[in-house]
Amino acid sequence: MHKVWAVVRREFVERVRSKWFIISTVLGPLFMIAMGVLPSLLISKSGRVNAIAIVSEGAGELPERVQQLLERSGRFRARVLPAEEVDSALVDSLTREVRGERLEGFLVLSGSTVEAGHAEYRGRNVSSIVDMEILERAVRTSVVVERLRRHGIDPTVVQEAQGRIDLATLRISKRGTTGESGEATFILGYAVGLLLYMVIMLYGINVMRSVVEEKQTRIIEVLVSSLKPFQLMLGKVIGVGSVGLFQVSIWAAVAYAMFHWRAQILGLFRVPAEAVNAVKLPAIGGELLVLVLVYFLFGYLLYSSLFAVVGASVNTDTEAQQAQQPVMMLLIMALFLSIAALADPGGQMARIGSLVPLSSPVVMPVRVAASDVAASEVGLSLLILAVTVPVVIWMSARVYRIGILMYGKRPSLKELWRWARQS
Amino acid sequence: MRSDLVVELDHITKRFAGHVAVTALSLAVPKGAVYGLLGPNGAGKTTSIRMLMNITIPDEGTVRLFGDELGGRHHSARIGYLPEERGLYKKMRVRDMLIFLAETKGVPRVRASAKALEWLGRLGLEAWGHRKVEELSKGMQQKVQFIGTMLHEPELLILDEPFSGLDPINQQTLKEIIVQLSRAGTTIIFSTHQMDVAEKICDHVCIIARGAKVLDGALTEVKRRHGGTNVAVSFEDVAQGAAAMRQASDLVLKADDSGVSAELTLKEGADPQTLLERLLRAGVRLRRFERIEPSLQRIFLDLAGPDAAHAERREGADA
Repeated sequence: MHKVWAVVRREFVERVRSKWFIISTVLGPLFMIAMGVLPSLLISKSGRVNAIAIVSEGAGELPERVQQLLERSGRFRARVLPAEEVDSALVDSLTREVRGERLEGFLVLSGSTVEAGHAEYRGRNVSSIVDMEILERAVRTSVVVERLRRHGIDPTVVQEAQGRIDLATLRISKRGTTGESGEATFILGYAVGLLLYMVIMLYGINVMRSVVEEKQTRIIEVLVSSLKPFQLMLGKVIGVGSVGLFQVSIWAAVAYAMFHWRAQILGLFRVPAEAVNAVKLPAIGGELLVLVLVYFLFGYLLYSSLFAVVGASVNTDTEAQQAQQPVMMLLIMALFLSIAALADPGGQMARIGSLVPLSSPVVMPVRVAASDVAASEVGLSLLILAVTVPVVIWMSARVYRIGILMYGKRPSLKELWRWARQS
Repeated sequence: MRSDLVVELDHITKRFAGHVAVTALSLAVPKGAVYGLLGPNGAGKTTSIRMLMNITIPDEGTVRLFGDELGGRHHSARIGYLPEERGLYKKMRVRDMLIFLAETKGVPRVRASAKALEWLGRLGLEAWGHRKVEELSKGMQQKVQFIGTMLHEPELLILDEPFSGLDPINQQTLKEIIVQLSRAGTTIIFSTHQMDVAEKICDHVCIIARGAKVLDGALTEVKRRHGGTNVAVSFEDVAQGAAAMRQASDLVLKADDSGVSAELTLKEGADPQTLLERLLRAGVRLRRFERIEPSLQRIFLDLAGPDAAHAERREGADA
């Protein structure tokens, strides 16, 4: 045990000391801050006012309505240009104004806009989704009002009918209505899935590279003269895994601090209080945290032993890049399944994905984050993992034991299977 | 079982996919010996050592270390092993690297740390303890590796081709360490194909070729058994040498002719004195004429020579 501990310690200390660890540990929270602050910042940002021209080719009162709606949005300033006919000379002169940056763009409304529902906008800001959304809504609303008016409907009735509608989506869980929005639940589920996927992959690959390094530098031969290959692999997996847990705990602590003091942090970025509250953050239950941790451990053990096999079956880092593809594909599949589970947490795909051991470490926590999953289902999934993971570790260790001393041609899957069975 | 034997191999055989690497090899290494495992490349030296170390398992036969069959890994705290392919963690600091290696041998951390400092000082590397391994020159890395092999004060040192790839200064350093450790009672087994080195430091040898033992025993015994009358001669120049070889041909059984010098094995009953007289009469100008024991090189070539070419082709398959 003393020997395994020496390996664990080496893997942990060397990794935590590395630049890679320090950079990623610092970058993680910066990324979280960016994710936390940006939405609020974007909402509160008044932005630039777009100056546009509305060309009216006998469009009646429509241009004025559009103008009113646009200016009410606060993002547009519009002037109406009546025109007999929209000819190329007019289009050219307006285009020149846009190129000269005196105008952001121009909207062409004609007599047929109301009947045919056709209008055209040319401008520099067409890629701004928000602006185009406002523009389209203004035109659509104005056209609808105009159509209704032509059918003799009272404008006050029309106005009333257009009152804003808000649909609040609130999640109901076992503990009752939580007050968190559907959006927040989605974000939480997505974050959990992505985090598990990334951390399992990152640290699995770390185990693989560590195995390759020992093979490549040939230090492996000295090591296996004093340690059993299994002790070495165990020490490596535990050591690298502890680094993973350590890093994730740092991130979790930062995330908690950010959540707790988010008003103050956002204040530093001059985000007004109402914008802070406009972004709903999901509540993270202790139950979910524990499950995420347990599934991370299982997932990491499972995938890191597969990655250890990959490392033991190759000679160089370059070969490892190739050989890791099948294992990566499995993990990517798990991520895809978890996204499907997010869309339909109770669906068949989600259920199967959260039981199959290769995907359950990512899929099940996502389901738990996004909906209520029966305790029996979680229990079954954990039971399957608890049975499979030791078997996979055991078989991986057998392949690893032979692979680490083999150089030269890469073994085929058939050979790997033979290694797993031979004593 | 003799209690003074540190290592006993009893008819060990190892087969790999295409060929037999080691065939029924038996040998015994007495306590305190400096034991040379000699043979051409691909003869099966590394495979034998790996079986000794428990890294590969023999298909047949038994390995006894320190009187039992528990294997090299079980006794790893008592054994220092330097594999043919050297390697260290490149990113690790030198001292941490040494401490780690000692820890895998069961040495407590504090003691390992003190020992590492002591050895680094002994080999003139005290200033490098906090540097990363990759910052060291190749020669220094090799010294670090030696330290790693000996830090835990093993009773048995197993060195696979320890002198290959070393510059003359490091060769000398390693030789001195081996002699020192040997005087302190450490049993040392090393493999090499450099006969001159083996001749200088071994007291026991085992020559293997094509995976099988050709000869073994104490060096003096081996030389005595190989017998014959041997003479070393040196000449002033190559022309003189050629003339001498013509004169001597009917007295000589075998000649290791190097141009300006030669090692001659005389025929049964031939008198070296007759040879000397003949050379002098022919006017050959000599720089040296000496009756010698056969060199290990000579014995090795006689016994393993015909195999060497064959064995060479299998080089690398040894792993």
